[in-house]
Amino acid sequence: MASSKASRLGEDRRTRMDKVNAELVVLTYGTIVAQLCKDFDSDYVEVNKQLDKMGYNIGMRLIEDYLAKSNTVRRCSSFRETAEMIAKVGFKIFLNITPAITNWTSDGKQFSLVFDENPFADFVELPDDGRAQDELWYSNIMCGVLRGALEMVQMQVEAHFVSDVLRGNDTTEMRISLIRYIDDELPPEDD
Amino acid sequence: MAHFGPGKTASSKEQAGLRYPSNGKTIYHRPLHRTKTAELSQASFAYLFSEMVSYAQRRVTGIQELEKRLNIQGHPIGLKLLDLLLTREPPRSQTRPLTIIALLHFIKINLWTHLFGRQADRLEKSSNPDTPDEYMIIDNEPLVNAYISVPREMSQLNCAAYVAGIVEGVCDGAAFPARVTAHSVGGKEEGEMWPGKTVFLVKFQPEVLEREALFGKG
Amino acid sequence: MSYYFAIIGTQDNPLFEYEFGTSKQGGDGQARFSEQARHLNQFVLHSSLDIVEEVQWTNGQLYLKVIDKFFNNYISCFMTGGNVKFLLLHQPTATAAGATRNSTSVGANPTSPQTEEAIKNFFNEVYENYIKAIMSPFHKVNMEIRSPVFRQRVAAAGRKYL
Repeated sequence: MASSKASRLGEDRRTRMDKVNAELVVLTYGTIVAQLCKDFDSDYVEVNKQLDKMGYNIGMRLIEDYLAKSNTVRRCSSFRETAEMIAKVGFKIFLNITPAITNWTSDGKQFSLVFDENPFADFVELPDDGRAQDELWYSNIMCGVLRGALEMVQMQVEAHFVSDVLRGNDTTEMRISLIRYIDDELPPEDD
Repeated sequence: MAHFGPGKTASSKEQAGLRYPSNGKTIYHRPLHRTKTAELSQASFAYLFSEMVSYAQRRVTGIQELEKRLNIQGHPIGLKLLDLLLTREPPRSQTRPLTIIALLHFIKINLWTHLFGRQADRLEKSSNPDTPDEYMIIDNEPLVNAYISVPREMSQLNCAAYVAGIVEGVCDGAAFPARVTAHSVGGKEEGEMWPGKTVFLVKFQPEVLEREALFGKG
Repeated sequence: MSYYFAIIGTQDNPLFEYEFGTSKQGGDGQARFSEQARHLNQFVLHSSLDIVEEVQWTNGQLYLKVIDKFFNNYISCFMTGGNVKFLLLHQPTATAAGATRNSTSVGANPTSPQTEEAIKNFFNEVYENYIKAIMSPFHKVNMEIRSPVFRQRVAAAGRKYL
């Protein structure tokens, strides 16, 4: 079965890589978000944008790493397969988690990733200022990472969080929509 | 006394500002003592770190300002790790560092092991009689080699400046206020042996040395 | 037995306060401080900070036990690694202290080993929760701890050990 094969692939690749203490990663992410909140004077909408932008930059570079480490040479045959690879290989390799894939639309172009655990949110409590829980998407960098990485393999997607336990929601859920495949077109111009 | 507002009792400022999930899980429900150190791929750290550096670069002019900024970002982490690492010690060795040497050992052993999976290589006291307030934590093969996947444009010193900030946070938190800077010394001293060798120079505030003299535990 | 617990920041600023009564020997967990005593508690606690400063550099333990006494008020202290102080003022009720002088119960004898141990356990549990609070990237040094969950946790530790 494709999905359990993907799981094994993720586990395999992950153990092969050099490791760092998860807490160093988590604390570093925390200091980045806190610094952004400070720099943008708690304009959380702007902080979300900045996190997404950082993620996008990371995603564009990370995809090569991913392709090398997962030995994936073949293109995913469908967006459903792409979702499997994101959840079971990508997230497994880089964050050692496997979000659940749910809520497909009937056209197979939109799905959700539901995060049972989220290392970034370890030990995080959002500021009690009456706004952060309504405006800040703490883990928003992940959306940018997916957007950037998939763009490099000719998929234009849109990704955003729809709920977060840090906001008091019962789940942490990211919604991913395929906008279009960009392979048959001219390469985008440099901007 | 001035800070204690009169009649301000315990219950008067209880305001449930934050919402929590219906299962009631909050940060207070997570165990502090992990049975086994959770690990993530080095790449995750490298990507995150390099993105932090390039973001910082856009907001500063010059390498010194950049390093200052990275130092500032590391500082709160040192403050947090001081208590976290202390509480993870077995009860018998849960002691606050009272002397410079005890503090530096805590950094060399506990902090380094937590961050990098091994101790720092050496501690040294400045041999210059004019700078008795200076100590050095020496790492022969830091970060650069550990985080190989950090992009080349990110110099070793950036990463070390971040670590220097963490160290400074530990010192300040433990009430040994200090300024900590990172210096690359590879090639100068031991030739080709340790090209990435880095010295973290810890310069304590005068009050730290005065206190040390007072309590007679130099 | 009534307790007044405070967390004091590195600038001697209060970060958290909570008062409660014993839950041992059928206690209802309510503090029995008079309004006057309540004002005095804060004063007493604060004036013991000078003594903390003397003790903290000669004793590296986190738990410094009873560091000060003011009439019938005993102050126990716990220092975090980050030099934040947990102070617990405990005031045995006059009758309890008189009637059961030799009692080993936590409420009756503020300096008995049993009481010391109970307070130590209380402090340790608060410390664990305190660390969770300060781990948040949005927590800054000397920031007040306003989380109701933290308060519940302190209350629970009080009920459990004191």
